[in-house]
Amino acid sequence: MEESSTRTEEMENVQKTEKKKRSKEEEEEEEEVFNLNNKTPGDEGDDEDPSDSEDSVFSGLEDSGSDSEDEEEEEGSHEEEDLKDDQILQPEKKKGGLTAEEEKKEDEYRQDSSDEEDIRNTVGNIPMDWYKDFPHIGYNLDGKKIFKPIRNKDELDEFLDKMDNPDYWRTIHDKQTGSDIILSDDQVALVNRLQRGQFGDLHFNEYQPQVEFFSSDVMLHPVTNRPADKRSFIPSLVEKEKVSKLVHAIKMGWIKPKRHEEAGGRFYDLWANEDCTTSLARLKMHLPAPRAPLPGHMESYNPPPRYLFTEEEKALWEQQDVSDRKCPFVPRRFSSLLQVPAFPRFLHERFERCLDLYLCPRQRKLRVNVNPEDLIPKLPKPKDLQPFPTTQSLVYRGHSGLVRSISVSPSGQWLASGSDDGSVRFWEVCSSRCLKTVQVGGAVKSVAWNPNTSLSLLAVALDSVVLVLSPSLADKQVVSASERLLAGPQGEEPAEEAGPVTWTDTEGEELNQGIRLKIQHPKPVQQVAWHAKGDYLASVMPDHSSHLQVFIHQVSRRRSQNPFRKNKGLVQCVSFHPIRPYFFVATQRSVRIYNLVKQEMTKKLQANSKWISSMAVHPGGDHVICGSYDCRLSWFDLDLSTKPYKMLRHHKKAVRGVAYHRLYPLFASASDDGSVIVCHGTVYNDLLQNPLLVPVKVLRGHVITHDLGVLDVTFHPSQPWVFSSGADATIRLFT
Amino acid sequence: MSQLQTRFFTEDKRYAVDDVPFSIPAASEVLDLSNVINKLLEARNASHSKVEFDFLVRGQFLRTSLSTHMDTEGISTEDVVEIEYVERITAPEPEECMMHDDWISAVDADAEWILTGSYDKTAKIWSLEGKPVMTVAGHTDVVKDVAWVKRDGLNSLLLTASLDQTLLLWEWNSERNKVKAIHCCRGHTGSVDTVATDPTGSKFCSGSWDKMLKIWSAVPTDEADEVEEPADRPRKKQKTQQLGLTRTPIMTLSGHNEAVSSVLWCDSEEVCSASWDHTIRVWDVETGEMKTTLTGSKVFNSISYSPLCRRLASGSTDRHIRLWDPRTKDGSLVLLSLTSHTGWVTSVKWAPAHEHQLVSGSLDNLVKLWDTRSCKAPLYDLAAHEDKVFCVDWTESGLMLSGGADNKLYTYKYSGVQTDAGA
Repeated sequence: MEESSTRTEEMENVQKTEKKKRSKEEEEEEEEVFNLNNKTPGDEGDDEDPSDSEDSVFSGLEDSGSDSEDEEEEEGSHEEEDLKDDQILQPEKKKGGLTAEEEKKEDEYRQDSSDEEDIRNTVGNIPMDWYKDFPHIGYNLDGKKIFKPIRNKDELDEFLDKMDNPDYWRTIHDKQTGSDIILSDDQVALVNRLQRGQFGDLHFNEYQPQVEFFSSDVMLHPVTNRPADKRSFIPSLVEKEKVSKLVHAIKMGWIKPKRHEEAGGRFYDLWANEDCTTSLARLKMHLPAPRAPLPGHMESYNPPPRYLFTEEEKALWEQQDVSDRKCPFVPRRFSSLLQVPAFPRFLHERFERCLDLYLCPRQRKLRVNVNPEDLIPKLPKPKDLQPFPTTQSLVYRGHSGLVRSISVSPSGQWLASGSDDGSVRFWEVCSSRCLKTVQVGGAVKSVAWNPNTSLSLLAVALDSVVLVLSPSLADKQVVSASERLLAGPQGEEPAEEAGPVTWTDTEGEELNQGIRLKIQHPKPVQQVAWHAKGDYLASVMPDHSSHLQVFIHQVSRRRSQNPFRKNKGLVQCVSFHPIRPYFFVATQRSVRIYNLVKQEMTKKLQANSKWISSMAVHPGGDHVICGSYDCRLSWFDLDLSTKPYKMLRHHKKAVRGVAYHRLYPLFASASDDGSVIVCHGTVYNDLLQNPLLVPVKVLRGHVITHDLGVLDVTFHPSQPWVFSSGADATIRLFT
Repeated sequence: MSQLQTRFFTEDKRYAVDDVPFSIPAASEVLDLSNVINKLLEARNASHSKVEFDFLVRGQFLRTSLSTHMDTEGISTEDVVEIEYVERITAPEPEECMMHDDWISAVDADAEWILTGSYDKTAKIWSLEGKPVMTVAGHTDVVKDVAWVKRDGLNSLLLTASLDQTLLLWEWNSERNKVKAIHCCRGHTGSVDTVATDPTGSKFCSGSWDKMLKIWSAVPTDEADEVEEPADRPRKKQKTQQLGLTRTPIMTLSGHNEAVSSVLWCDSEEVCSASWDHTIRVWDVETGEMKTTLTGSKVFNSISYSPLCRRLASGSTDRHIRLWDPRTKDGSLVLLSLTSHTGWVTSVKWAPAHEHQLVSGSLDNLVKLWDTRSCKAPLYDLAAHEDKVFCVDWTESGLMLSGGADNKLYTYKYSGVQTDAGA
């Protein structure tokens, strides 16, 4: 019996060792603990471990059930060694089985099976309270009763033991044998280590390099030399069978493949059709419904007396149409809130409110967030637009009356000025020296130097006469050429003697002074203007009631003609186009442009000002500036519009004179406020680009006399210098 | 920084001091430095009388305290500062005032006589003492420029340019005090604004409002040049007005786009002209070609050339006096600009004997004496005139002259020339 049991034990041990792949020591230690607890929680796990570890060595496929064969074949070679090992161990075990408990304990180290029956007590894994009424607690291997220890501990003993026994904490009651075991230090340390999750053996190196027996590497000496099975290359029959079963089931309709739940159940997206942007906009641009205004004093049940209607007001209220009423009810007074009756029109009012909410157009007003500074056009700095006149350089003194008009000779050497003191003076520009004074006997309204450089003539308008002066300040050839021009058509008797204009040669003193021709007009002449060629001269006689306001004189043939048959308004000033045969006539409100060849009006510029005072034509001929008595300067782009391209309101008082520079992009305006404002005005050849107008300098210097400031302004023909004449009888040069 | 290491030196042997560094207060000004030098000189020479000095640090006159000057000039205060000192130029003082009948347009003075042109259509000859010697009348219009051509003992040749488009070459005998128009130079078609004689006195150049420069011979001859006149021109008046024999130009230099305002001879082959077209042009007289163009931004009124420093000074309508190097090829380099005037600079003139000094006249009634080593401010303002100044001149004897619209010609005695003559 004993031998057979040991025999079976041995066999089991052998099987066990065969299955295990772990190291021996580890197992032993584990066993010890399990034995102490007399439990075998790891039993089943141990059983399955080996199969797990040897799993899937040869193929990724699940080869269920075919494990055991492999293992047996594989491990057959190891069997003998293990058997030997067990035989060596056996004698000790036999001893342990026969000897006392201490020895038994030692034996336990040799026993490595936890699923084995407890050899100290053969009752098996049963609840031990079955034996609580017996004096023994089981039977040993030999079938003898194992008696309970005599000691019968009650709670008090337990407590005293706890208090007194220093080893109490390491004392364990073994239910199987009913004895108390005091754990040794080593065992306590082992328990602690295991509780911390460490290996039981102190000396076990858990990080020792592992030998990968079954890896992808081709080994020189492989663990097994067997070639791979054929079945690892062919599809698994089992799987095939399973799949075909499923397929068959599906075909037969036994299994229905899982279907996706159809979209659109009970709930659906109300705004699915709305595209994202509008919905976002709807959220972003949320507009709250307009609030009904809070009730005021008028709605109060006890309003202040001033809100209460008088009889007239009440009558008026009743007479008014419902829609006209200011308030939809009559304020009434009650001594207390209790007495307030129900509002008779409550439903109606609610309905109105709903209507309001429904019908009121809720629209977000786009607020324009513009920095006001961005609206100011970017203008270049005046510094970058140089040259332009900046400082007063010379003052031409000599006149005793206000200087109404100035003109610079086309060479730029001489300046002519006409004054109310009845004289015309000629000045040397560079030294401010008056070289010549011609007494003409009347307040000079206008002087104009002939723009033709091969002539040296000055037209002077005073009273009802236009004088043509030959100042003989130029080259002798030029002087003689201009005198020849003035001599008129030889031998040809002027036919229109009877006309309103008479031409006379001067004699005697006047001739010595340089006055060559007198053109007598029927009315006072306000302005004279030369054509660029220097042969034609236009004179202006402003008159409300007559069509005889403008004359065009041809100096070489001594002929005059009135180009207009109708009175289109009070003519202020005229000018010839510098290049083309156009004639500009400025009346009070507008500027008319006539084509002299076709003899028709081509354009009419609306100045948007009350009274035009002066006009200048750009040397290119496509731009016109007009100064007006209402402080404005308007720039017309003839290609652009008949309305002013720009209105400049820099002057405080009436603008008296305007001028363009012949070469530089400059224009200037003179005003009664005593200042001359020089502006930069670049004109581009590109028709798409608008002129660039920048005011660059305010020039002051003239003293305001009798509320008159600067009366005339003109540019030097070649330098960026501007001359101005003022009511203070001076002419000033700004450079 | 309270003390500076300085070393003083001078080129004037009379006032030389030891070449050792001195430590002087940084805040010291010209007067303090001058006292230091005077002390040093007294220590060397007991008979030394006090002299006012001016000081140059790196070629710039000291006008403020030493430390601020070095700050602005960016000179390191760590090193020993080299300070040159020169005897201070005493303020030029108005000596004589010569009254004219009309505005004075031009003045030219040589070692003995002063020639002025006036708006009363005459030129006048004055002695250096301010005595009127002769009135040269003959032009039919304002005399715009005058020039001495040559002095041959008692006989002198002089030129007057006028608004009547002619130049007259006169011979003046100082002993008999007779003046005679030798040649009437015709050819310009605008007022002749400027005239200059070449260094040899055999040619002269005139600039006119007609944009032309003309070179004429200054040698008197007995026969008139042929002038082709338009046939249809009435000749009667011309004949009666003619003074002297007609002379035609040797050469016409055209290239300016505006009136020529000033001409001068750099040497006997080179003419320099300034114009209202904002350019200064240098011409070769031999070939008649333009050599260099210096472009400014404003109208030039006057130029002057100094053979000592080889610089051109220009006075323009923008209040600045600019210095140019006529030999630069790019022709746009302004070396220096002297700014203090408040009106147009009508006239500039280099000192004939000093390479740094020039005098300028302006429409702001001031005549200013400049030193190019102190370009921020002039050495002296001469505020004698009551009206516009049109012309300035400087004789080799150290006399400065200025004339203007107040009909007065002032002469100023100027002492600085002698001491710096060798410099």
